[in-house]
Amino acid sequence: LSQFLQALAYGVVQGGLLALVAVGFSLVWGVMNVINLSHGALAVTGAYLAWLLNLHFGLDPLLAVPVVGAALFVIGYVIQRGLINLVINAPIFLTLLLTFGLSLVILNALQLAFSADDRTIDTSYASQSFAIGVVNIPYGRLAAGLLAVVITIALATVMTRTRLGHAISATGMDRGAARLMGIRSRHIYGVTFGISAALAGIAGTMIATVGSFNPTTTPGQLTLDAFVISVLGGLGNMYGALVGGLVLGVAETVGGLILTGTWVNAIAMAVLILTLVIRPSGLIGKAQFSGRVEV
Amino acid sequence: VSTETASLAALLEGRPRSLSEQVVEWSRSRTLANSWGALALVALFAAMLGLEQVIEPGTMRLLSAVFMFVAMAQAWNIIGGFTGYASFGQVVFFGIGAYTTAVLMNNYHASFWVAMPAAIVGGVLFAVLIGLPLLRLRGHYFAIATLGAAEGAREVVNNLTPLTGGGLGITIPTFGLEAPTPYFGKPGFYLAFLVLAAASVALSALLARSKFGYAMVAVHEDEAAAGALGINTTAVKVIAFAVSAAIVACAGAFYAFQQIEFYPTDVFDANFTVLMVIMVVIGGSGSVIGPLVGASGLELLSQYLRINLGSVNQLIFGAIVVVVVVFFPQGVVNFFRDAWQARRLSFLDNIRRYRL
Repeated sequence: LSQFLQALAYGVVQGGLLALVAVGFSLVWGVMNVINLSHGALAVTGAYLAWLLNLHFGLDPLLAVPVVGAALFVIGYVIQRGLINLVINAPIFLTLLLTFGLSLVILNALQLAFSADDRTIDTSYASQSFAIGVVNIPYGRLAAGLLAVVITIALATVMTRTRLGHAISATGMDRGAARLMGIRSRHIYGVTFGISAALAGIAGTMIATVGSFNPTTTPGQLTLDAFVISVLGGLGNMYGALVGGLVLGVAETVGGLILTGTWVNAIAMAVLILTLVIRPSGLIGKAQFSGRVEV
Repeated sequence: VSTETASLAALLEGRPRSLSEQVVEWSRSRTLANSWGALALVALFAAMLGLEQVIEPGTMRLLSAVFMFVAMAQAWNIIGGFTGYASFGQVVFFGIGAYTTAVLMNNYHASFWVAMPAAIVGGVLFAVLIGLPLLRLRGHYFAIATLGAAEGAREVVNNLTPLTGGGLGITIPTFGLEAPTPYFGKPGFYLAFLVLAAASVALSALLARSKFGYAMVAVHEDEAAAGALGINTTAVKVIAFAVSAAIVACAGAFYAFQQIEFYPTDVFDANFTVLMVIMVVIGGSGSVIGPLVGASGLELLSQYLRINLGSVNQLIFGAIVVVVVVFFPQGVVNFFRDAWQARRLSFLDNIRRYRL
């Protein structure tokens, strides 16, 4: 039982980390109907930025979070205004291809600059943990999980309580109508992608703190996780990514306890497909997003 | 879009015609330009057929890869281009084809000529199995579901170690008495992939002008309207998916035999899917010539970059993909055809069409 509880606790904090990766991805998908295949690449860009700040200035990764977030926001805004807005009305696979090409460019540039080696940010607290009864919880992962919850709540508040949030939601629901209300959709799309990139960068920073990352295998895995979580949680609800992340995190760690090898990955994919077939709007998402025809 | 609407109109007006009638009619009534196009393709095929006698092995291997991608791009175009269901897991059929072939030849000592048809049957069966539930989904949801199916299938193959060898890979016996079928060698695979490519181009061209082809385009344009016209949309989608799967599985079978030894991560590599999509989109989706141009152009380009640019080749490749998507969103072939028809060559028109 203690083993099970340990796996459960680990799954919850791991789920928080995964949710942090997915929340920006799900925002862009919901608002712009763009699947951003460069999301993982942006997360790894953030991870490298935090790693550099730590290496050269000794900046603690938790303190680097605002810096990385601001930098990635600017990068994301420029990418959206300069590139993605150019093909936003094209058939869906064009935006998929565009972001795929973008991801290739970013990752190969990172690999040329920093090599393909695994990197990690060393902190005094990342490897330490505290115990509740029989369960050990590492500080680093707990911080990442809490950050995910705080950021999700903050994002949900922005979306429901501020003019900017309303503008983003309105543009996502009906761009034409939103423009008639005086919302500059180009700018709103830029801001949305910027927020998404900033969240990706923050997630990357936390990944670099609790584990290691590289420019070859990490980004693809992150993008795929973000995919699965967004579908599980559903679009159109800011807490969808959090729920999806927790479900995936717990399922992976508890499943890993019961099953051998990488069967747990096969199960995750089966769950993904079943979710899509039975309830395409996700666990707590809004149905309008899955009914959207977008070929 | 205009040609697709035109074919929908043809479906609305025309009486139902059988495939053979279509072929006869096509051979008689096509415009001169189209006949020349078909003739040029046949001539190209004939020229390529004799080429393995004179070119060096390196070039032969390169051209074999080009032919394989031509076949796979045509396959993706049938489901993604004509029918409009962008599958992001088409590599699953490649992997199934490769593993069916390898398992039959290695574990059961079957001849390649038994294993390859079995691989095609396996691909088709799996396409029907996952197609029936998944083809109800649309857009991104279909894309992700197929991606998930491919990733899941890879993990299953990875863990069925007694049957597939798991992550340690699988080897097809190719030499001596162990070999169920003697190895083809480079010229043999050159011919095999050439025939596969030619067959898939011919199949795609025949499909495009058949009643079934119009049904696929009708499903693409407006599924509800197609259903109202009496098209069994589920059947059209599943059959298109299965035909596409058959071609990809066949390519996987040849690829497995050519590689001799491979791992699940090789033949279930998501990059194969991405390449198929890129080739079709860049060439021009929903046409026969587009995937042909896209696949040969892109594969030759990427090989050229790999040889001449060293470590930055992937970066340049990514940049080219971005630039082409922005400037030729409807594909190179469609772009120049439209430019010719409108007598107006402008890159900005493309950007104006899709930008915000």
